[in-house]
Amino acid sequence: MPKITVDGKNIECKDRTNILQACLDAGLERPYYCYHPGLSVVASCRICLCEVEGIPKLVPSCQTQVRDGMVVHFNSSKAVANQKQTMEYLLVNHPLDCPVCDQAGECLLQDYSYEYGRAQSRFEEDKAKKPKKDVGLNVLLYSDRCIMCTRCVRFTREVSGTSELYVDGRGHKEEIDIFPGKPLNNKLSGNVVDLCPVGALLDKDFLFQQRVWLLKRTPSISPVDAGGENIYLEWNDGKIYRTKPRYNSGVNKWWISDDTRYAYKAVNAPNRLRQAMKTELGMPTACSFNDAAETAVAKLKQIVVDHGQGSLYAVLSPMMPCEEAHLLGTLIRSIDPQATLVLGPVPRGDDDVFMNYLDGSETFRIQGEKVPNRRGVERVMQILGGKTVDFATFIASTSGATKAGWIAGGYLSDWIGTELPAPLKGGFKVVQDILPNELTRNADVLLPGAAWAEKAGCWENYQGAMQAFDAAVPPPEGARVEGKVFHKLLGRSGMYDAAAVRVSLGEPFVQAVLPTEVEMAGEPAFEFVEL
Amino acid sequence: MAFPEPVLTKRIPLNPADRKKVWYNDYVATGGYKQLRAALDMSGQDIIKTVTDSGLRGRGGAGFSAGQKWSFIPKEKKTTHYLAVNADESEPGTFKDRHLMEWDPHQMLEGIAIACLATQCDIAYVFIRGEFHHGTKVVEQAIKEAYHHGIFGNNVMGTGKKIDCYVHRGAGAYICGEETGMLEAIEGKRGWPRNKPPFPAIAGVFGRPTVINNVETLCCVPHIMERGPAWFKTMGTPSSPGPKLYGMSGHLNRPGVYEHELGITLQQSIDMAGGMKGGAFKGAICGGISMGVLAQHQLDVKLDFDDVRFRGGCLGLGTAGMIVMNEHTNMVRALRNCVRFYAHESCGQCTPCREGSAWMKKILDRIVDGYGKARDLEMLLELEKTMGSMPGTTICGLADGTAWATRTFINKYYDEFAAACPEETTKRVSLPISRGNREVATPMGSNTR
Repeated sequence: MPKITVDGKNIECKDRTNILQACLDAGLERPYYCYHPGLSVVASCRICLCEVEGIPKLVPSCQTQVRDGMVVHFNSSKAVANQKQTMEYLLVNHPLDCPVCDQAGECLLQDYSYEYGRAQSRFEEDKAKKPKKDVGLNVLLYSDRCIMCTRCVRFTREVSGTSELYVDGRGHKEEIDIFPGKPLNNKLSGNVVDLCPVGALLDKDFLFQQRVWLLKRTPSISPVDAGGENIYLEWNDGKIYRTKPRYNSGVNKWWISDDTRYAYKAVNAPNRLRQAMKTELGMPTACSFNDAAETAVAKLKQIVVDHGQGSLYAVLSPMMPCEEAHLLGTLIRSIDPQATLVLGPVPRGDDDVFMNYLDGSETFRIQGEKVPNRRGVERVMQILGGKTVDFATFIASTSGATKAGWIAGGYLSDWIGTELPAPLKGGFKVVQDILPNELTRNADVLLPGAAWAEKAGCWENYQGAMQAFDAAVPPPEGARVEGKVFHKLLGRSGMYDAAAVRVSLGEPFVQAVLPTEVEMAGEPAFEFVEL
Repeated sequence: MAFPEPVLTKRIPLNPADRKKVWYNDYVATGGYKQLRAALDMSGQDIIKTVTDSGLRGRGGAGFSAGQKWSFIPKEKKTTHYLAVNADESEPGTFKDRHLMEWDPHQMLEGIAIACLATQCDIAYVFIRGEFHHGTKVVEQAIKEAYHHGIFGNNVMGTGKKIDCYVHRGAGAYICGEETGMLEAIEGKRGWPRNKPPFPAIAGVFGRPTVINNVETLCCVPHIMERGPAWFKTMGTPSSPGPKLYGMSGHLNRPGVYEHELGITLQQSIDMAGGMKGGAFKGAICGGISMGVLAQHQLDVKLDFDDVRFRGGCLGLGTAGMIVMNEHTNMVRALRNCVRFYAHESCGQCTPCREGSAWMKKILDRIVDGYGKARDLEMLLELEKTMGSMPGTTICGLADGTAWATRTFINKYYDEFAAACPEETTKRVSLPISRGNREVATPMGSNTR
């Protein structure tokens, strides 16, 4: 463990790390643009230059490895003069369009300009004019705002391995560009927007939607596949506006897939279910949520009395958090101890593997299992015991033993198709879902549910990591969080609390904890902290 | 110190009418490839020692000891070693390597073969500037001949040693002449200079140990092997021994490539090229434009690697590509031209060089157009101090070129610049918008101006 001194502070750092990373690890904010811990080091932005005692020149702190006893100055006159001059240079050709720029508020150029720059530019000539470019399905490039840190170029080469972006031209006329006819359409393309320290690469989806300082963020988990990518949902006024990656060294590092990034759109969908329904006199009729829920339980109890035990089933969707799956299983077993527990459908595709273009090493993998919590729900079903089957076996069965059931959905897209499978066609069905589909149209009792962003819980990813997520926004009016509904129907007292349910379930569910405020603030620094 | 006869140009007559290309047979007939034969019987360390003893300093501009450079290559060979020959001669005012390659390519190839033996290199890449169409053809033909006669290939002169030599053409970027930029270009990448460490001697082309030498440096090697270090030291100055090609251009009666020992004075070099043409001497860019300018009172500066630096106030001798200017030269325009080159050729990797050179060019454009202000000179002198590998703010030395050209021009011809940037101007202070974007009117890189 080498010990170095940075601006009078003694810090301990890891072996073979660089000065800048050592500072960031120790919580010392130092300016940088081109450096990113997940990418190769180019040392081209030159704002991170520092003075090391014993070396006459300024050295790039992102590229210089720490040595024990090194004395580093970021606030010496030479280093400060360079910071000031580099800021002026970067702003020479940068348009002053912060008022209409989406990056304003989380822009490193703004932050460092305030911290290290000069108040007025001495540049009196004409700024270079560069075009706006449409580089891919999700990404826009405003090349006049670009400061040529080449993080995006390195990302497409070293992480996605697709090499769509490159540097075109030379000197102050150079631009980031794509090759003709080869747009930036890989499944990780949105990450270049997160990487861009300024407002050059923009997400078309978020363009002109919100000022970033209005957004609040909630730690969450990707709902689109078994990878369990860690994310932040960023929202304002009860509406989610965008998704940003959350660093997790063991799962997704700094990156997320585009499917994860745009999964929130299902939450904002205009056709979300909002009205509870029950069948009265053979007609679907709107009713209050409580009425529908109580009707459902009463009817199920009646069916058990009429047909005996073993006539009920419950479909536990792999979109459900473990806590809710456990509560629904408990609820249905409290009505019918012989009830069948069915694991909802698990759509599978091929894994998408991304490789470094140079050495071919795997850098990122998008899981082919397109649900987040198959393992967690299976684990819950194991705890509950009794008769458990998977969805394919269930719909293939023709015994007709099951007369009625409780079906939980929550998928972000249509999951049942236009033709209902035979066991779901007849009989009494209580359906809990978020988006309309064939099943909700044929439900005897319909309970509008909450999407993952609207509730707390935990999911187990493909590695067996139990990960918690929090509710970012409230469910739409008329819909209710499933956990609260089960909690009430089970007659439990007090408020429903996902964390408390986790504790009652014990290992391994209690491993799922939300990041603390401090951990959230201790992200690889993209935020400005007063020195 | 004496220079009795040409060394590097002994097969290239001074009179262009007498010149003829030296192909393999002519080269061997005049004593060529004898030193390679001798070197095959020597150990690598002995060759390196001979070259180190001769005091040969790299002719590419920096003047680093060639023998020392070779000694940095790992002695124990664990992987392929490469030799990269820097023939990307793009500095304005420099055209000596072209002269050597176009007329006497085998001299360079012999130097390459000896260098490969000394440093256990398996493969040599000759990185030729893209614009040298003719030179490329000549070198390619010479390499073909050399393979045919067993100079390169799997059995060098029948000894079973293996050396391969390939030509790699540049695509027209000055920055690819920077040593690590060249390595990137050879690897097929964008010619962006690399951060050091690691140094090329440890991890160069394809991450392997790599020697990088200039064409003229390698051409000196066979002569040192032939006549010994002591003979080499009879030419030049104690710190900069040996012969040197001077690329004389500008307002001279007989511009061209001249060979003389290092350490002649500026006046001698001008006389060598037939004296001034069209007027008295005003200034001379001493070694390619990145080195800066020598003024009227510096005609007695010795052209070697140290005197130009310490007495001449320039960055160094560079490549000894002289651009001599007479009294009618407008120094503001001359500087604008230099800075325009650097703004155009900046690779765009480091912020200070990318933005700074373009900014300086725009200021100088304005001054040349007659809209200069007194504070423009302060601005230029402040900007040039912030860029370059010497203060450490850029990766490579291209920005040092911009800085030293600007610094020496403005300081040595201050009156002329001050006259162009008056304290009180009768003209409008800022450019009218209609004249603003010069880049549209005169695209850089076109030869219209």
